[in-house]
Parts: sequence; C-alpha cells; structure tokens
Amino acid sequence: MLELFSTKIILFAIIGAVLTGYTCSLMGTFVVRMNLSSLGFAMSHAAFAGAALGIFLRKDPLIFALLFSTFVSLALGPLADKAKLKTDVVIGVIFSLSMALGLLFLNLSPDTAMSSTAMSILWGSVLGMTTADIIYLLIITVIAILFVIMFFKEINAILFDRKLARSSGINDKPFYYLILLLTSLTVAFSLKLVGGLLVFALMINPTSSVYQFSYDMKKIILLSPIVGVISCLLGMLMSFSFDLPTGSAIAIVCSAIFGISVLISPKRRKG
Amino acid sequence: MDKAIELNAVDTTYEGEKIPCLKNITLHINKGEFIAVIGPNGAGKTTLLETINGLLESNRGEVKVLGKALRGDGNSIRKYVGYVPQDYSIDELTPFLVSDVVLMGRYGKIGLLKPITKKDKEIASNMMEYMGINNISKRPIGKLSGGQAQKVMIARALAKEPEIILMDEPFSNLDFEARREVSEKLIHFHKNKGMTFVIVIHDIASIPKSCNRVIVMDNGRIVADGNKEDILKPELLEMGYKGMVC
Ligand SMILES: Nc1ncnc2c1ncn2[C@@H]1O[C@H](COP(=O)(O)OP(=O)(O)O)[C@@H](O)[C@H]1O
Ligand SMILES: [Mg+2]
Repeated sequence: MLELFSTKIILFAIIGAVLTGYTCSLMGTFVVRMNLSSLGFAMSHAAFAGAALGIFLRKDPLIFALLFSTFVSLALGPLADKAKLKTDVVIGVIFSLSMALGLLFLNLSPDTAMSSTAMSILWGSVLGMTTADIIYLLIITVIAILFVIMFFKEINAILFDRKLARSSGINDKPFYYLILLLTSLTVAFSLKLVGGLLVFALMINPTSSVYQFSYDMKKIILLSPIVGVISCLLGMLMSFSFDLPTGSAIAIVCSAIFGISVLISPKRRKG
Repeated sequence: MDKAIELNAVDTTYEGEKIPCLKNITLHINKGEFIAVIGPNGAGKTTLLETINGLLESNRGEVKVLGKALRGDGNSIRKYVGYVPQDYSIDELTPFLVSDVVLMGRYGKIGLLKPITKKDKEIASNMMEYMGINNISKRPIGKLSGGQAQKVMIARALAKEPEIILMDEPFSNLDFEARREVSEKLIHFHKNKGMTFVIVIHDIASIPKSCNRVIVMDNGRIVADGNKEDILKPELLEMGYKGMVC
C-alpha cells in the first residue's frame, strides 16, 4: 500500500511525525511536572473547536486553532496559577463546550469536500502535511528547544518547586506563561498530524512513561521527546499499514508504551 | 552599623483575609547579627520571614533589605537572601537528584542566560560535603529521610553564598546529635563569612551559641526583643512564654 503514495508525501509525513512527537512530548514534560494536565486537555479541545470554526468559515483552520488554544491558556493560566481552579470542573466545562462547538461547526459546514479535512482535525492525518505545516512545526520545535536550552536553569528550578525558585531570585511568572503559551502553540500545530482529540495523549503518555524509569529531570527532559518521536513513527506506520486514523494509531502506541512502562517500572517494584 | 533588614510599621495580610497576620512590625537587624525567632504556632514567624524576603507582599509600612526597599518582584534582592522554608512539597517520586537541588540554589544568583560554571558546581559540592550529604548527592530527593532532606535544603540555601539567611525551623526533623552538628556549622558560617542569620526555632535548647538576640512573637506581633540572656531567663520563660515554646 505504501507505493501508492509519492515519496514527497511519505517524507513529509515522517518529518511531520518526528517534529510533532518531539515538541509535544517536550512540552508534555513541563505539563506533567507542573500539574497542568487539565489545562493541556482544555487547550487541545479548544484547538479542535477552533479548527472546526475555521473549516466552517472556510478559513485556515490552523489560525483558529491557534487563537482558541492560546485564548484558553491565557484565560485559564492565571486561575490555575493561583490554585483557584477546580480542575475537574474545567475539564467538564471546556471539554463539553469545545466538543459541542467543534461538532456543531463541522456539522454546519455543508461542503462535503471538506469532510476529509474535518476528519483530519478530529483524528489526525499523515497525508495532509503541507510544506507550510512542516515549516510551522519546525519553527515551533526550534523555539521550544531553544527555550529549554537558554533557560535551562530557570526552567529546571521552577519544575522542582516554583516557590523555592522564587525564593532563590528567579522570576517564575514569565516562565510559567511562556510554558503555557508554547504548549498551546504546540497543540495547535500538532492538530494536523494527531488530531484535536488525541494530541493530549501524545503530550502526557511519553513523559509519563519515562517518569517510570528516571528520578532525574534532566534525563526525563532529554528522553521524553525521543519516546514521543518513536510513538509517532510507530503510530504512523500502523496507520499506513492498517489504514487507521493517524491520531488513533499514535495514541494507541504511546498508551501501550505507557502501560508497559508501568508494568516494568523499577519505581513500582516492591522491596 | 549597616542594616541588613529594616521593617518599619509593617502589616502583612494574606490574600482573602481581613485581619493582618503581621501587625505593625518594626524590626531593625544589623549586618552580622544572629537572631532566633521564637513563639507559638500561628504567631506569624513564617509570615515574618516571607515578608522579609518578599515572597509575601506587605500591605503597610516599609521593608528594606540590604538598604534597598522591597517593592515589586523582589527577585533582585532574593539573590542575596537565602531561605530554608519550613515545608516544601517533595514526594517520593519527585524527579530531582540531591546534587541538582543544591546547585539550583545558585541559579537565581548566576542570572538569566549565564552558564553554570565549574566554580558553581564546586561551591555546591563543597556545601554538600560541609553538610555531610556528599554520600547521597546522586540520590533522588524524594527518597531521603526528613532530616536528610532538611540538610539538603540548608546546603541549597548556603550554596547561594547569601548575605542574609532566613531559616524556618531548620532543625525540626533533625535528631539531637544532628542539631548540634548543624548548629556548629552555622556558627562557623556566621563567624567566617559574616552572614546575617535569622532562624525560627521551636526548641529553645537548640538555639545556636552565636545567637546574640532573641525575638519572641505572638499573635502577629513582636512581644519581646532583646539579648539572648535577657529574654531566655528561666523565670521569664516560665512565666511569660509558657506554652509558647512547646
Ligand atoms: N496562606 C494563608 N492564608 C491565610 N492565613 C494564613 C496563611 N498562612 C498562614 N496564615 C495564618 O497566619 C498566621 C501566622 O502563620 P505563620 O506565620 O505560619 O505562623 P508560625 O510560622 O509562627 O507558626 C496563622 O494564624 C495562620 O493561620
Ligand atoms: Mg511557621
């Protein structure tokens, strides 16, 4: 079945998978450690609703996905920051609202030609990767990596304990918001490959898997993106071979990796 | 003499509270003093320390640290003020190694976009050796005993080589032998580096020998402030501060 696709499409799919897996899981290490999972969840569904609105308006879905996910991160960020956020309430409200809006917009889009785009923002698609998508992904990946390298000290201290970081003279607020912003951008740019419903799995599962094996944050930051890349590549392969939606395949692979990690984790071994 | 810390008529109110937790605190501390703060639970000792280093913002009066008024974020001043908090959220799975946690104490001081140098690592390593935690430097921080973790937090604060160090019940998880030991080390630092110490302490018996001044707090106010000998008179303690220092 592989020979049905041109080399360019396959090459783009592979590059897209590597970049998406890398950035999602890199940001995922921060999201997991800083207990921002519910926020990430809300962002990814908002991005889906935004993309659906874009399709309905016949505009670029990506721009609306970006707007929606960034809006959620900036609106809910301060609440989460002050621990004034009941996370399950937010998940309930944002999840149901964005699903309702997203499906509504898709339903209202009369153009059946759009239905493959609609499907892809829900479940992801390897075949839709355009040159522009790859460039955007590359830019956000480079920004995320530079961010981590340049501010490694500050990020590391904040990931350990924000209050302690502040007590040692680190201005933690800008970093918190930069992490949120980068996460929302990553979510929006990953929509194409993984889809709005499952991008969250790609943020959380690889990091959570690596957590099972290491007590060293430096290693977790280094290794999680690699597990993310592997998940994406394997998922893509599965999606090609069995004609599955890419997002589902990637989510299945990284959930399986997480499940196995928990089972063989030395951290959970007794004695 | 140069002032290290200056509080003039300071109130600190927690967010969402009506009544200030610190009430009209005036406190001047000279450079090089070694001060013990005592008082019952809820007296405001922790709040006092965090008002001094700006983690909590005072809502009345003036706080000056090392001659500079604490306003806004206070991060620039906190680079010179070490802090050992009373409690910290470390659970068993916390993914950080002891050596990293100690080195992190220096990150704020090193500053944005500046690399961690060999010297930074050397200082952190020296502090670990000094605190006797060298042998656990590659252990995950969450796997330590309460006393070991406390030593790590002290090493972390000292690794910054601060001019002022604030410690909130730094001995609470140490056994008596370790208290004596750590106490000696702090005395050494005080003598040789001229650091200013403000230590909240629960157990009067473990107030380090170099302590020259004792502050007693109750109900958000300073109720006594003076020489150690004057404040810690047995009869005074028995009458006035009964139940305060349990
Ligand atoms: N985050 C907070 N919000 C509201 N009140 C607080 C908070 N933290 C402490 N308090 C109150 O402030 C008072 C002083 O607390 P604290 O400074 O921790 O006392 P101490 O350290 O002397 O035991 C207590 O009455 C406590 O209930
Ligand atoms: Mg206290």
